[in-house]
Amino acid sequence: MDASSRPILVALGSEARALRLIQAASRMARERGAPWIAAHVRTTAGPAAEDEEQAQVWLQEAQRLGAEVRVVRAPTLAQGLADLARTSHAQALILGRSRDRWPWARLGHATADELQRRGLDARLEVLDDPPGALSERAPGTSFGATVGTFLVLGACTGLAWLVPREGNLSLVLPIYLLGVAVIAHRWGQGLGVLASALSALLYNFLLETPRFSQATGHWPNLLFFLAMLLAAQLVMGLLRRLRHQAREVQRREVHTASLYLLGRALARSRTPEEVATAAAEHIGRAFKATAWLLLPEGDAWRSLPTPVEDPALPAPSELGPGLEIGDREGDPLEPLPRGGAFYLSLTGTDRSEGVLRILPREPGGLPPRTWELLKAFAAQIALALERLRWLEEARRAQVERETERLRSTLLGAIGHDLRTPLAAIHGAAGTLLLPGDLTEATRRDLLAMIQDESERLAHLLGNLLDLTRLESGVLQVQKEWQPLEEVVGAALGRLERREGAVPVRVDLPPDLPLVPLDAALMEQVLINLLANARRHAPGRDADLRAWTEPGRLCLEVADRGPGVPEAFLERIFDKFFRLSEAGEGGVGLGLAICRAIVQAHGGEIRAEARPGGGTAFRIGLPLPGDPPSLPEGAP
Amino acid sequence: MTAPPGGAHPPRILVVEDEPALRRFLVPTLTGQGYQVLTAATATEGLAQARSHNPDLVLLDLGLPDLDGMEVLCRLRAWSRRPIVILSARNQEHDKVRALDLGADDYLAKPFGAAELLARLRVALRRTIPTEAGDTVVAGGGLRVDLGRREVSLEGRPVHLTALEYRLLEALVRRNGRVATHAQLLAEVWGPGGEGNTHYLRIYMAMLRRKLEADPTRPRHFITEPNVGYRLHLDGPG
Repeated sequence: MDASSRPILVALGSEARALRLIQAASRMARERGAPWIAAHVRTTAGPAAEDEEQAQVWLQEAQRLGAEVRVVRAPTLAQGLADLARTSHAQALILGRSRDRWPWARLGHATADELQRRGLDARLEVLDDPPGALSERAPGTSFGATVGTFLVLGACTGLAWLVPREGNLSLVLPIYLLGVAVIAHRWGQGLGVLASALSALLYNFLLETPRFSQATGHWPNLLFFLAMLLAAQLVMGLLRRLRHQAREVQRREVHTASLYLLGRALARSRTPEEVATAAAEHIGRAFKATAWLLLPEGDAWRSLPTPVEDPALPAPSELGPGLEIGDREGDPLEPLPRGGAFYLSLTGTDRSEGVLRILPREPGGLPPRTWELLKAFAAQIALALERLRWLEEARRAQVERETERLRSTLLGAIGHDLRTPLAAIHGAAGTLLLPGDLTEATRRDLLAMIQDESERLAHLLGNLLDLTRLESGVLQVQKEWQPLEEVVGAALGRLERREGAVPVRVDLPPDLPLVPLDAALMEQVLINLLANARRHAPGRDADLRAWTEPGRLCLEVADRGPGVPEAFLERIFDKFFRLSEAGEGGVGLGLAICRAIVQAHGGEIRAEARPGGGTAFRIGLPLPGDPPSLPEGAP
Repeated sequence: MTAPPGGAHPPRILVVEDEPALRRFLVPTLTGQGYQVLTAATATEGLAQARSHNPDLVLLDLGLPDLDGMEVLCRLRAWSRRPIVILSARNQEHDKVRALDLGADDYLAKPFGAAELLARLRVALRRTIPTEAGDTVVAGGGLRVDLGRREVSLEGRPVHLTALEYRLLEALVRRNGRVATHAQLLAEVWGPGGEGNTHYLRIYMAMLRRKLEADPTRPRHFITEPNVGYRLHLDGPG
């Protein structure tokens, strides 16, 4: 396998450092153009369910960034990784390491060493935690610590005993100082102070000449004790600072990781419901608490993602002032504890988007030190809600613009199409009423024109009304099972009465099933399509065919006209769309009506170029289930 | 046709229509054809006119200002068997069916032409001309139905119909060109309880067409009124 195409393997646990490992692996994979695998090893010891859940979150995140995800079971982490690295031919393996060690331990890495022993054929990259990230070890005064204290003091005394006597305080003092410092470092301040006192006593009893005599008040003894005490205090102070720094670094890493995950989840959310679900999930994980978004809805509050089941929890409106910016003294974004829950204002850039309510699952579970992260969460959620609101506003504006554009097109078209026949009628009637002689032929001609033009007006108005009613949903489709033949017959009959003979070849198989449709509306569709065919291919027979496909009935009206340019095959169904402005008759509503009717039936209609020239309009109507059976006694 | 069908005196037609423009068109058209015309602009006036003059036919607009057209229809039907033709706006199939089921004889959708109006009036008036006694044979456009002998022939050749098909044909023949709603045909052919099985009716109508129409997709005789019902056309093509 080509070296550059071999994957990069990254081992992920449940710790927050996984985020750094994921980012490093993703970056390395991108730089080398190689695939990458995010692996999680379940050791037989078995981690806590909670850790396992967190590990899953990291794996999902890695997958989103393009990693292949593998979860393997192995007795030890090293064995699992070694096996995986071998089977996947990984070119590099990325591991994380904390600084939870004595300095000399940092030179090695237990898992890394074991991997090397197992003959890993991949470059090993060990990522250290940031400097200062010491793991916290709670100092205690357990039995073991006490025993340890005595052991260290014993060792110091033994060492001091070897020092040549005669008041060599300058040599004994550092030995004890070192001992006390070690004790204070490992087992805490309490034992440190105790060790200072004990070492002063030990020195006094065992080392000071004459031995085993108590010579209190001797000034070097007091000095010795004070020096011990000071050393213990200094070491403790130093350690406290270091520990605090370590906690801070670790907390930062956890914060960054959880904020990162929340941000990713929020960015994917497209509705307030999804924002609420993401927020509740991540807050639940980070704070061990149940969270709701309370969004204002008129005078009430909508609770997402679930309704609040506990009536004891007050609604935001019952909280009194405090959640709006400027209502409260101090930081208006601080959590407001009420009724066992905490309330945070979700304030975006310009206004409050809602309220975040958090109910800790454990008593006293939301101490003020977690508030900083909580506020960051609230800010992110607020921004996500604000983004959705702006999107919605933009969409609404777009719809309004579109409606406005359509309205002006419509007014223009209607204005023109109504005025033309009216002008003709008005003019003809005026001519007929003029004093003076008109020939009989002229008179009849004008009258025929009045009749034709008024029919055109009636037709246009009918179409407009149909479309309006179809689009507004006023018109209810009354579907009944019926033979298509009957609808075709009705349409042909009406078209013939209206416009004379209709040149169309009809091909309906005799075994077509009944189909549920609204006869009056479908007749309108057929009339529009047939009239269309006749208008565009005068004198040429149109073809009307029908057939069944699984689950639907297909109907096709095809003409041999000039055809429709491919770019317009879809647009001809738009309202007032005409292929040529000078087109005779049509006002560009017929096909729009067809589409509205067919869609109201749950079907679809489309136009396509017909092989051999012309256009074919194809309708698919759903054939749900079995048609009703024939009455008894039917042939 | 200048002389209206019927006996010695010209048929009297009551036009109940609130639109002056339509009255202005209807009155000269009907008078020109030899009918005697009465007009009413409101339902109340129409009902009063019908009482006092007992017209041979009422042309009733469904959209009247003072009373619902259906109500007027019911009140007229309470005492008169004379034909009533409804004038309705386009696309109100539901209203048409209701009016027909309430006893109207036919309907005309606005806008309509003079020729269509006159043809419908002739068909509606023919109902009152007694045909029951002797005239049991109807024929036209190649189709001949002898109700007395229960014989049907097309272009001179006898056609065999099943019992249900014949009953359906008979129900249409007896209407003499007037429209029959789905509900009416179902009740007459299948008896009570047949309502709602409109697809039975459609299947039998399709069978009738296959036996009695030259081209079932271009019916000449069995005309479909979508979402309303059927009418039988025997007066030749068109």
